This record gives sequence, structure tokens and C-alpha cells, in this order.
Amino acid sequence: MHIPDGYLSPSTCAVMTAVSLPFWAVGLRRVKAAFSARLAPLISVCAAFSFVVMMFNLPLPGGTTGHAVGVAVAAIVLGPWASMLAISVALLIQAVFFGDGGITAFGANCFNMAIAGSFVADAVYRAIAGAAPLGSRRRVVAAGLAGYVALNAAALLAGIEFGLQPMLFHDASGAPLYCPYPLGIAVPAMMLGHLAFAGVAEGILAAGVVAWLQQNEPSLFEIHAAAGRGRAQRIGWAVVLALVFAAPLGLIATGTAWGEWAVEDFSKPEARAAVAAASGNVEPPAEAPGGMARLAELWKAPLPDYAPAFLHNAAAGYILSAGAGVALTGAAALGLQWLARGARRRNPVG
Amino acid sequence: MGVLAMTPVFELEGVGFRYPNAPALDGVSFSIAPGQCVALLGANGSGKSTLLRLLAGLAFAQAGHVRFQGGELTEAALADDAGGLEFRRRVGVVFQNPDAQLFNATVFDEVAFGPLQMGWSREQVLERTGEALRALDIEALRERPPYRLSGGEKKRVALASVLVLDPEVLILDEPTAALDPQSQARVIDFLFERLGERTVIIATHSLEVAREIADTCAVLSGGQLAAHGPAEGILSDEALLRSTHLLHVHRHRHGPGSAHSHPHQHS
Amino acid sequence: MRRDFLEKTLRNLGDALDEAGRAESSGPLRRLDPRVKLAGFFGLILAAASSRHLPVTLGLWGLGATLAAVSGPGAWRAILRLWAGVGLLTGAVALPALFLTPGPALDWGVTQTGLQSALTLLVRVETTATFASLIALTTPWPALLKALRHFHVPALAVVIFAMATRFIFVLLGIARDAFEARRARHVGHLPGKLRRQMAASGAAMLLGKSIQLSGEVYDAMRARGFRGEAVTLDEFRCSRADWAAAGLFLALTGAALEWGCWR
Ligand SMILES: Nc1ncnc2c1ncn2[C@@H]1O[C@H](COP(=O)(O)OP(=O)(O)O)[C@@H](O)[C@H]1O
Ligand SMILES: [Mg+2]
Repeated sequence: MHIPDGYLSPSTCAVMTAVSLPFWAVGLRRVKAAFSARLAPLISVCAAFSFVVMMFNLPLPGGTTGHAVGVAVAAIVLGPWASMLAISVALLIQAVFFGDGGITAFGANCFNMAIAGSFVADAVYRAIAGAAPLGSRRRVVAAGLAGYVALNAAALLAGIEFGLQPMLFHDASGAPLYCPYPLGIAVPAMMLGHLAFAGVAEGILAAGVVAWLQQNEPSLFEIHAAAGRGRAQRIGWAVVLALVFAAPLGLIATGTAWGEWAVEDFSKPEARAAVAAASGNVEPPAEAPGGMARLAELWKAPLPDYAPAFLHNAAAGYILSAGAGVALTGAAALGLQWLARGARRRNPVG
Repeated sequence: MGVLAMTPVFELEGVGFRYPNAPALDGVSFSIAPGQCVALLGANGSGKSTLLRLLAGLAFAQAGHVRFQGGELTEAALADDAGGLEFRRRVGVVFQNPDAQLFNATVFDEVAFGPLQMGWSREQVLERTGEALRALDIEALRERPPYRLSGGEKKRVALASVLVLDPEVLILDEPTAALDPQSQARVIDFLFERLGERTVIIATHSLEVAREIADTCAVLSGGQLAAHGPAEGILSDEALLRSTHLLHVHRHRHGPGSAHSHPHQHS
Repeated sequence: MRRDFLEKTLRNLGDALDEAGRAESSGPLRRLDPRVKLAGFFGLILAAASSRHLPVTLGLWGLGATLAAVSGPGAWRAILRLWAGVGLLTGAVALPALFLTPGPALDWGVTQTGLQSALTLLVRVETTATFASLIALTTPWPALLKALRHFHVPALAVVIFAMATRFIFVLLGIARDAFEARRARHVGHLPGKLRRQMAASGAAMLLGKSIQLSGEVYDAMRARGFRGEAVTLDEFRCSRADWAAAGLFLALTGAALEWGCWR
């Protein structure tokens, strides 16, 4: 989820930073109005909290563990503006001191996780919790869903940012200069891991924390009330939600979206011949591989109105298989890295 | 001595304070004369830290009055730019939790923080910070981040960061808590030597510390003032100390086979 | 038995605590004014990120490797580890692109454009990561924080940033103690639900402690005159060598942009 340097073009990074700037400016002003001089200690300590929480290994159903960002917890307790600032500071520290996430990609990472994450979490939590009493079970569920949806929204944005790269930036021979995967691969590849693991971890953390606070420190829910809300907050929601949900639809509407391998081409004979030639005379499947149908279901379930026409296309499975391939190789790489780290710990070099 | 010298540094009159979900102080009245060293005694949760917050102008009395050199301490009085800043310079606070007190990235930044907020010139900031580092023998730690320091070193950095402003009143919250005996002794020695004419207010539940440095004692119990007066009188009043949970009675051994009960202090 | 989440979390926390003291480098970069270093490397990262020609990116990677090599054995080892880690991850991400990118076919289903784009991505990511790590490896954190004050970052933002780095260590310590206490109390394998509850309650307790700590810090700041506006001290002197280095960085960045991007 932390995008490193080099995957996004500098112009993409500049745009993402420019989009983030007004949020930071308005956020700083609003949080200052709400907390006055308390702002500095509150934001810095909460940034440190988010940093430390990102190191937690959360046990997931099925025996694996995952990491959370803590953005839903921060948004619920501090409100979206303060949460956005705190997570941004945590991301900056990770980028500068720990090499986690790029320096040029900082604006993009902040927009995805800190800004969109905070606003989506806040919107989902409020929508589901409604006026339920502070100690109610409904708030626990709302927090869990807020975490799940917020992290997946962040992953979707990251997937879109990746997927736009090959469309916009390639060299003279047509080779992509940055992330090489078009939307049709990048988005599912990002989403699979987050729908199945990271989003679940975030949801478990948020639900668990809210349940614990209800029992032990209900007064912490009052901080948010002090932060107030109003028109700026609604504008924040509107901008973020529009970007998260309208951007993919807009991309599809413009027709160019799903990259060089337009999905429909798989059913046209001449296009299939061209693809076959391009891939060393290996005939691409006329139908999506059958086993992929289940994956397509998984992909369809959480975002029902996300490009339905595209999903009903059988070729979606083909693209999903490519996405799953990327996800699997990513997982394998992480596994190798983990092994390498284990080896390093046993024979420390430095 | 003139009349001015007789004006108490702090004067409390029927002071009450409660947190949203817990009462902390109720009807506390006493005053502190200039140059005095006052030990604020009380068991955990008796309201010592809260009282210090009121004296330091970090929280404000909800009932009664707190006066500093005759002027009432209110939020409005401290919000005034010049007056508020001057009060902060004259009243220094060393907090109990060194992790909260030391919030800067290096020891130097920590000690320079107060002078910078006072708006002193660059030269003055550098000079005074250097002096304070020397006075507490922590020059070698100058560029170190606070998280790498020992408990005793953290305490000395905290003292330097407050003394750099040369305050007339020094407020210390449990200065020897969580220190090993040697560091404790060092802090007490330091307080003994350097604080000559300053007014000092120390919150502690250690009778030993009170015995070593206090002229006057105030005893808090459940948010109320249980006693106030010269140190010798209060520290030798066993009944009072026992009723305010500063002394415990329990059985333990003195030599072979002679278990018996007598008042006993845990610090 | 499989490593427990408690063990993993404790290891992560410990690693982060150790990592902080790692700026054990030497050489010219170490002595360079942190402001020059920060701006210079940022320029180089930008140049590497903008480069459209593989040879130029490779040249920048060579520059990064040389700088790492002259920054002492500690920094060099750290960069080698970084290359291995980044190489594995980005290599795996780029691998399918070899086959999936449309273009003239080479052997084994690899396309030429696929090869080109996978290599471009790999070298670019290695290069930018090298530059970024060199900043952190050759500059003590406090100096880096001070350098930020010179780039028109608002003083309050710098203070928040500096305080956050400070409190990471406090909270890492608190979290480690809490998880160690839990590990001591629970031996053996716990059911999943209980483990999840344990992790979440650990985080919740940490949040409670964080908010309480922020209140105490607020008191400590106010007691020393803080009123919401930060005042900081400028302590840098640029030597002639620093100016020369700044010029060199500028020239290299300009050259890389010229050949890699604008031509
Ligand atoms: N920030 C706070 N919020 C709510 N209650 C508090 C807070 N600080 C202290 N209290 C309560 O006020 C009472 C007095 O606490 P304190 O002044 O810290 O006592 P002491 O320093 O003597 O241990 C205690 O009951 C404590 O629980
Ligand atoms: Mg106390």
C-alpha cells in the first residue's frame, strides 16, 4: 500500500501532492480552531500512535496475520481532519527515516491512505452508526466496516494511479516507463490483497479498538465531538467520495480505460490473432479460464455497481487471472523477503 | 524587610477542582511564603498533581481563588501576552513523567525550547542554554535524543530545561519517583545546593525526601488539606501520617525470631 | 509451532527501535550540510524518476552506488540489503510485465517492450530508493529535522514532525512492554478470536495512553511558554565545500534531466 518512488511518474506525484495540499491547509486550520495550542501535541502523539500500530501483526481468520494503518481508529476518535494530519505525519516519518513509501510518492500515499482513508472511514462509520448509543454493538460493526471500506478505497485509488501510468507514460517504442500494468490488471491486483487481507486487518483493528474503548475509556469518544463539523467537512467528504467512486466510472465512460488489451478484443477473431502474434503465437483463451469465475465473484461482491458491464464480460476472468498472477508473485516476493530477513537475523551482518 | 517580601508567593483560598468524571480538590486553603521549601504530601490520587497544575497556571480553580503574588490566576490573566509569558518564566515546572516533559528531538533543543518561546535573542538563547547544560553537567549529552538517556539523566535534562529560564518558583512533581537510590540522592543534593533563595514546591509521597529538604509540609488526603505547618511537627505526627496513608503498619522481622508490628514507610 | 502474532509484533517493534540509531556512516556525505544533502538528493530522485532513457537511469544508479561505497561499511551494507529487498519485490512485481506487455516478441513469450519496461522500472526504483536511503543513512535525525526548517515548511509542521519522531520511541516502548506482559501471561496457542481481541485491546490501550500523554505534553509545553506558535533556532553555517557540493548536485541533476528527459 505504501507506493515507493519510481512506480508513479513525477507528474502523477505532483498532481497527487497538489490535490492533497488544500486538504492539509484546511485541515490544519480546522484542527487549530478546534484544539488551539493542543494541536501540536495531539497530532504528533497520534502520528506516533499510527506509526506504532502499523507495526502490529493482527491475527486474521484463517491463521495468517496482516497489518493495519490505523486510519479508521484515528478518524473515529479524532475526526477526519485531525486523523488525516496525524496519518500524514506518520507516513512522512516512514518515507524519510525508514524508506517505507517513496519521497516523491508521498503526496499520493497521503491522499490514498491519510486523506481518502480518513474521510471514507468517517463517512462509513457515521452512516452505519447513525444515532446509536455510544456503547452499542452497532458502533463496533460500523467501525469494522469503516476500516474495511476505508482501506479498500485507498487500495482502489492506488490501483487507479498505477493503472494510469502505462496509458500516459511510455517511451518511443511504446514500453511503459513506470508501473507497467494497465487499469484492468493494476486495480484487481491491488484489490485482491486488500479485500482479502489488509482491509480485514484494518476492520478487525477498528472494531476491536472501539469495543475496548466502549468498555474501558468511553471518554475518548468525546474528543471527536470537540473537533466539530460543518460545511468544510461535507465538502471534504464530497471531494473524496467523488474521487473514489466517480474516478473509475469516469475512466470507463471515456472508453480508453482498461489499457492496451481492450477486453472486448478477446472475442473478435482478428484481435485475437494479433494478440496471439504478440504473445509468441500462443492462442489466448476464447473464454476466461473456468476456475477464475469464483475469483470474479469475489471481485464482484463488495463493489456491486462498479462497472457491471465489464464484470459480466467473460474476459474479465482472463484479466483477473493476470491480476491474481501479480498478486501471487507479490506474495511470493514478500515471502522471499521474509525468509531473507530471517536469515539476516540469524547471521547479522551489521 | 519590607511589606513586599511578606506578600505570599501563592495564596490558596477554598480551592475546589474536579475532572469531568472525578473530584480532585475540595476547599483547600493555605499560602506559601517566598523562599520557602514546601513539601506537598499525600498518597496516590490525593490531588497533589492537580494542585500543582493549579499553581502552575495549567488548570484553573473552579471554586475559590488561587493568587500568585497577590494577583488572581485566571485563564484570562494568563492569556494576556506579556503577563502570561512572564508568569511562565517565573514559575518553572518539572513534571513527573520525563517522557512528557522531554518532547524535543535532542537535549540541546529541549533546553533551548523555553528561551526560544520567551522571544530572547539568538545570542542570549545560546548563552543561557550553554550555561544550563554546564550547570547540570549534561554538556556531553547535547546532541543526544532523550529516548537514549537513563532515568537520572532525563531528570537532569528536565531540570536544566526549566532552570534555564531562572524561575523564582520551582514546582517539582515526584522528582525522585522511579529513580534508583543513587540518582535519587543526586537529585536531592542538587536541590539542596542550588535552590537557595528560590521558592520550591515538591509533591511527593516520600517522607524521606520531605525530611531532607522541606521547611513546611502540606498534607493532602482525598482532595482536602489534612494538615499544614512546619515540617518537623508534621513529619513526627505518626497518627496523621497513618491516617493519610503515608505510613503503613504491618508485621516484619527485626533480627531472628522477632516479628512485630510498627509504623513503616514505603518509598 | 508457527510464530505467534505477539512474537512478530514484538520483533517489529524491536526492529524499529534498533533501526533508529543506524546512521553509522562516514565520508563526505556525512560531513555535508544537511540542507544541501536534502535538496541535492531530492533533485537526483526527481531526475531518476523523470528519466526516459535506461542508460541515464543506470548512470544515476552508478552515482548512488559510488556515494554509498564511500560512506563507510555500515552504509554500504545497508544499501546492499536495500538492493536485495527492493530488487526482490520490484522484480516480482515487474515479472509478469515481461509477458503481458504487447509488443514485438522475443523468446519464451517475453516481449521486447515488456523487457524494456520491466528493466526501466527495476533500475528506476532501485536508484530512487538508493538516494532516499542515503539521506537517512548519512544524516542524524535531529540534523535532518533542522534542515527541514529551511525549506519553508511551516515551523509548526516541523515541530509536530520532530515531536512525532520523539514520541514514536515512547510509544514503541509502551507497546513492547504491554505485549511482553501479555506473552508472559499466556503460554501456548490461543483461539483466533481471543488473539484478535488481544491485539485490538493492545492497540486501544496504546491509543488511550497516547491521548493521555498528549495532554501531559501539552502541559509541559505550555509551562515553558508555548502558545501554539513554534519558534525555532537556526544553527547552520554553509562552508565553501557545502556550496561546491550544492553546485555539483545541481549540475548532475541538470545533466540527468537534459539527457534523460528533455532530449
Ligand atoms: N486528567 C485527568 N482526568 C480525569 N481524572 C483525573 C485526571 N488527573 C487526575 N485525575 C483524578 O483526580 C484525582 C487526583 O489525582 P492527582 O492530582 O493526579 O493525584 P496525585 O498526584 O496525588 O496522585 C484522582 O482521583 C485521579 O484519578
Ligand atoms: Mg501525581
